[in-house]
Parts: sequence; C-alpha cells; structure tokens
Amino acid sequence: MFRSDKSLLLLIILIFTFSCQKKRSEENTILPQEVPIATIGENPIYAKIGLTKLSEYGFFEGNLAELNPTENVIPYELNSPLFSDYAKKQRFIQLPVDSKIELVYDEVVQFPVGTILIKNFYYDDDQLKAGNGRIIETRLLIREEKEWKALPYIWNEEQTEAYLEIAGFTTAIALNNLENMIQYSVPTMLECKSCHEKNGKIEPIGPTLIQLNRDNLYDGKEMNQLAFLHSKDWMGKVPDSLIVNKFPDYDDPESGTLDERARAYLDVNCAHCHRPEGPAKNSGLNLRYNNEDLFSLGVHKAPVAAGKGSGGLSYDIVPGKPEESILFYRMGSIDPAIMMPEIGKKTTHQEGIDLIKEWIVSLE
Amino acid sequence: MRILITFLATLLFYSCSKMPEYNPERNFENIEKQMIAEFIMVEDSQVINLDEGHYLFSKSLILEGKNNVTIRGKGIDKTIISFRGQAEGAEGIRIANCGNITLENFTVEDAAGDNIKVTDTDGITLRNIKTAWTGTVKQENGAYGLYPVLSKRVLVENCEVLGASDAGIYVGQSEDVIIRNNKVYWNVAGIESENSENVEVYGNEAYENTGGILVFDLPGLTRYGQNIKVHDNMIYENNLENFAPKGNIVGMVPPGTGMLILATRNVEIYNNTIKDNRTVGAGIISYLLVDAMGHQSQTNDSSQIAQSDYRKDVNYDPYPGNIYLHDNVFENKYTLPTLDNDFGKLFVLKFKTKLPAIIWDGIKHENFYLDDGSINPEFKICVQENESIRTATLDAENDFEGLEVNPEIFHCNVSI
Repeated sequence: MFRSDKSLLLLIILIFTFSCQKKRSEENTILPQEVPIATIGENPIYAKIGLTKLSEYGFFEGNLAELNPTENVIPYELNSPLFSDYAKKQRFIQLPVDSKIELVYDEVVQFPVGTILIKNFYYDDDQLKAGNGRIIETRLLIREEKEWKALPYIWNEEQTEAYLEIAGFTTAIALNNLENMIQYSVPTMLECKSCHEKNGKIEPIGPTLIQLNRDNLYDGKEMNQLAFLHSKDWMGKVPDSLIVNKFPDYDDPESGTLDERARAYLDVNCAHCHRPEGPAKNSGLNLRYNNEDLFSLGVHKAPVAAGKGSGGLSYDIVPGKPEESILFYRMGSIDPAIMMPEIGKKTTHQEGIDLIKEWIVSLE
Repeated sequence: MRILITFLATLLFYSCSKMPEYNPERNFENIEKQMIAEFIMVEDSQVINLDEGHYLFSKSLILEGKNNVTIRGKGIDKTIISFRGQAEGAEGIRIANCGNITLENFTVEDAAGDNIKVTDTDGITLRNIKTAWTGTVKQENGAYGLYPVLSKRVLVENCEVLGASDAGIYVGQSEDVIIRNNKVYWNVAGIESENSENVEVYGNEAYENTGGILVFDLPGLTRYGQNIKVHDNMIYENNLENFAPKGNIVGMVPPGTGMLILATRNVEIYNNTIKDNRTVGAGIISYLLVDAMGHQSQTNDSSQIAQSDYRKDVNYDPYPGNIYLHDNVFENKYTLPTLDNDFGKLFVLKFKTKLPAIIWDGIKHENFYLDDGSINPEFKICVQENESIRTATLDAENDFEGLEVNPEIFHCNVSI
C-alpha cells in the first residue's frame, strides 16, 4: 500500500521502527485481595427487603436441608442448566393457590403474581474433597406486582437454616475435579440482575417450554414436566407439535447435533446478557439459540468494548480456529477483567470449553 | 553527516520516552459490606455520602433501578474508592436502569474493567470525579474511565481521567450528551463519542493521550451517531504510544492525533486549539479505510486493527459527511509525525516535513457527486480555517494517486 520513494526517509523509518520497539509491560503483579469472610446469621436490617430466614417461607417440611416440598411447591429441572462452578441445583416453583402458569412460546413462561422460583445450590458428598456435601445457598425469584425480586439466602454450617444476605458472601470450596480450592461466591442482590435482566427488568432465565420439556420424578413416577403441570391444572396444555421440541442437553450427545448442543450451551450461559433485550446488547452480540444471523452470532464480528478481554484477538468467532476466537478465549479465563460470563464463575468449565472448541473447529 | 546523526538522536530521544506513572499513596480501609448494602437499600431521592478516606472493594458497587439518587464524596483525592485486585465483576461502579443519578466529588481507581459504567439510564451527571489506574500507564489497565452507554441526558463535567487503555471519557450509543470542562490525559483516547446523537464536547483539556478527541460511528450496534459539536477545547501533545489491547478499534489511532472523525454525520468542530499533536491535527476518515487497514494487518502484525465486516450491517453508512471545521487554531512544533504506525510513515513519505493539519482519507461514496457535478451535501467536508493551515485529501482508495494538498474540495459551506 505504501511505497517508499526516498531512501533516507526509509532509513529514518527503519531506525525508528527498531529503536521504538514496544516494551509491553508484564507487570500484573497485584494479587487478588483477601476477601473478608462474613459471618452467617440473621441480619434484622434486611427485614425491609424480605423475610430474613428461608424457613419462614414454609417451602419445605421436616428437616429443612432435605428440601421436602410442601403442597404447592413443585420440583422441576431444565434440559440445559447454567454452569455455576459445578454446583448442582435443585429447583422448585411455588405457585399461589388457584393460579396458573401461562404458556409463552420462545420465551420464559409467564408466572402469576405471587409465584416464587426456588433454586438451591449444593455440592454432593462425592463432589467435595472432604466428602461433606452441603447446600451453599438458595436463591429466590419472587414475582411481585410490578416485577420480580431476587433474594439470596446463605445456609449455615449446621444446615439448619439459610439467612438473607444482600451484600454477597464468599466461601472456600475444595472440589474433587479441581486441583485448587475455589472461592465460591454468592452474588449480591443486585448481581442477580446482572444476569436476570430483560429490557431493564428482572426476569427468570431458565423455564422456557423447551427447557421444561423433559421427564422428572413425581411421586416416584417418571413423567413429562409439561404434562405433569397440565395434569395438575397448573398450566395450560402444550400443543403436541411443540412437545416434539426439546432443548438439547449440552452434556448429552444423544440430545442433539454438535451445533445444537453448542448453541444450547451459548444460549444458557451467555444469551441472558448477549441478546437484543439483554444487558450486553451494546456489544451487538446475540447468542440466542434461535439467532440465525452469523454476524451477530459473532462470526467475524469485531468486539466493541472488550478492552483487554479481546486477548489481542480480532473477532468473536473465527470459524475453524477456536484459539483465534475471543469467545473461546474469554470462556477459558477466570480473570474478572477478561472472563465470560462476567460473574458467577470462579473456575472454568472444561466440558463446556471442549464443546465450544469442537463446535468452532467444525464451522466453515 | 554529524548533523544528521544528532538530528536522529534527538528525535529518538523525544519519540521513545517512557510511559508515564501515577503512584499515589494509599492506606485502605474496608467498608465493603456496608457500602454494598447501602447501594442496594438506598431509596429514591436519597443521598449516599462517602466520607474522606481510602476504601478498597473486592467487587463492583452497583446502583440499579433507582431514581434521583446522589452519591457524593468529600472531593477528588479525598474520598478514594479503589478496586485494586478486584476479585469479582468487571466494573468498579455500575449504574444501570436508573433515572436522574448524580455522582460527584470522589476518585475511583483500578477497576478490573471500567472504572464507572452507566448503562440504560436516563439522566446521569458525573461531576468532579477523578478516575485513574495506578502504576505505569499500560495495556493491562481497564478500558474506560467514565463510560455512559445506552443512556440519555448525560452530563460529564469537571472530571479528571487518566490511564484508560481505551478511552478516558467514552460515551457510546447515547443521546443528548454534554462533556465539558474535563481534563483527560494518559489515555489511548482522551474523549470519545461513539454512535451517539446530539453530543456537545467543549471546554475540555485533552493532552498527552494517543488521540485527543474522537468521534466515531461503528457498524453493528444498537444505534448510529450524528449531530456532534466539538468546540473551545484545548487539544495538545497527544503523542502517547498507543497502548490499547489488540482487537480494539482505538488501536488504529496513530499516536500524535489531535482529533479523529470516523464515519460520522453532522459534525462541527470550531474554536478549538489543536496544538503539537505530531501526526495530524484533525483526521476525517471512512470505515472503508479502517476496513482496508484491517485486511492489511493480517499480513503485518504490528498493526492493532480489527474491524467488522461493515457490509453486513445494511443500515450502516461508512462515510463521514456534513462536516464543518472552522475557526480553530492549529499549530505543530514537530516536523515529523510519529512513525510507529502506517499513517505516520505515509505522511512523512508524502508530505516530508510539511505536515498538513487537517487530513481526509478522500474515499468517496458512489453518490459523492450529484448529476450536475456538484458535491452531494450529505458528504460535504468543509474547512474554513486560517489560510496558513495546510489541509490534504489522501485519495486512499487509489493508492494515493489523487493526493492533494490544500484541495479546493474543502472550500464550501454547510449548515449543521
């Protein structure tokens, strides 16, 4: 593009080029600070925000930690859950008496005012090095008149109670599949909304019809969740044509093609923000399962405000080249300035990374 | 020969200076839990007062869905909110989905990503705030100092911003914006307006950045920008090495840039003093140039450019137009541009030591000329400056064959 016409000038340029080689500083020496360990207990100041103890809601009967649901509390599962540092999740819906879930297609179903979605985060005995499986936290999404409210409850060591804590909490966890301990982090009340946001309002993310379209155990019997909800008159009847559509389980190769499972993974783990109605819409990236536009999906799309999150790479996705794709790079980081998702991740998800790598390699 | 060597040595001395440093003394206290709770529980129309002191946070402070709230410190360099070593969250302070929020009188430092991000908010005032990254100015610093995005009625005034590895003050995808009387230095871009509408930038001092003030319109975003006025600013010595991480659009800004206008419509630039920016006082370019440089960079790794295929955004217009520069003071005591970039190399080859103050890439839309041979008003670039000011069009799409100094094409009138 540029032709030299004077050798002297060329010489000057050469000298400059070699003498001004950038010394990219490697100083990144600041260590993550010690996070003060908060004590777990009841904080009466929080009473103006919500019930300060989980037991006060009466979701469960008997020993609280056994999570035995009461009458109107219904267990449910999703086909593809969000990755949360390998924590397992046990989910319930509490519906107000005589009310019904409205069918919504392509989006989360509509819950009546008064609904509470209950999500318990726990590790099994065999996941933890010490073998002492326990529930870490319970997050509630409460459907109020105007919008949803998100409340995090932290379980005590004795597993007898969980307490409302809006300012966040950190606890060290030693997992069998990881060499190092992780500083598991319960989000602050507002961090909940960092993910649970649509058009500026708090919204549930998981329970779409295709995510709910799977079997679960009810009174010891396997039954399709949608059919069960309908049989109890808690939800309208889903048309048979829709029942065919199941959201793939990204962990289960039987459940879909590589493309389908990878897209399911991106939808569940990224698209709550990276969608046109989500908080990361300014990036122009749309990772929803149903987005068929390759550019907004990230293919050969340059980042907008990634900062050092770009990792020196030029595009979100370079087909065939995961190691040149920003999306892949950011999945593999746990540096808060680089990693994606931005919160709720203290360790990388190796199985997810492998899936996305294989998918990008397969793209043309 | 000896004179030549002395000359070169002097140039090297000045051009290869070290990156600046900012090392304030800090003695931190921890008020994290109270403060996070206070941000959550604050009620509409209340004030959160921050005492004098140095406070260290391990995660973002978030204000969400509030109205008419003020967060007020005891003054710049008195109330220090630091996110050094941040363990969670990408922003320092995050304001989201709010209305009529004021942040004033404190300092924010060392967030992992952006120091203060404001998103989806109608009515935001950032006043008398300093944001910085401490230590040597470097690529690992966060991207933006003050970052209002997707917002309306934005006022940024009397702030001081340094160390951002992208833009110090950056307003993106917003409307009705005033950025005034701020001091920005040691950033890649001092002030940047991106895809924003009705933006007025005045009374600012932008110095020792890579580029002083940028006005960009990029493809593939939620909205486009137009109607920008940049006036009465002091824009000088923006000659800092470009330390943006690769893959960021500001990585293409050559050190020594006073102002750069990219693909934006209705831009008026007047009464500014644009001084001693080594490479160019004011550059006006199209996205086609960015695109071409991106392709070139695939074979030349020294370049830091990335670009999206703008053609995929069918509503995007990659050409600048209706641009009016007038009554600015341009001066440049330097005889050579910065040479660690393609622009500088090109300029020294084409212009020798007589560098133009105002440069347009000269890449023209197919409808640049109307049927009668006159210039389509949509694409006009008009310059009315002192006669001594040198201007140039590059004709970059034709290998610079039509490059012209003081071209007639700039002699025109527009109304903005």
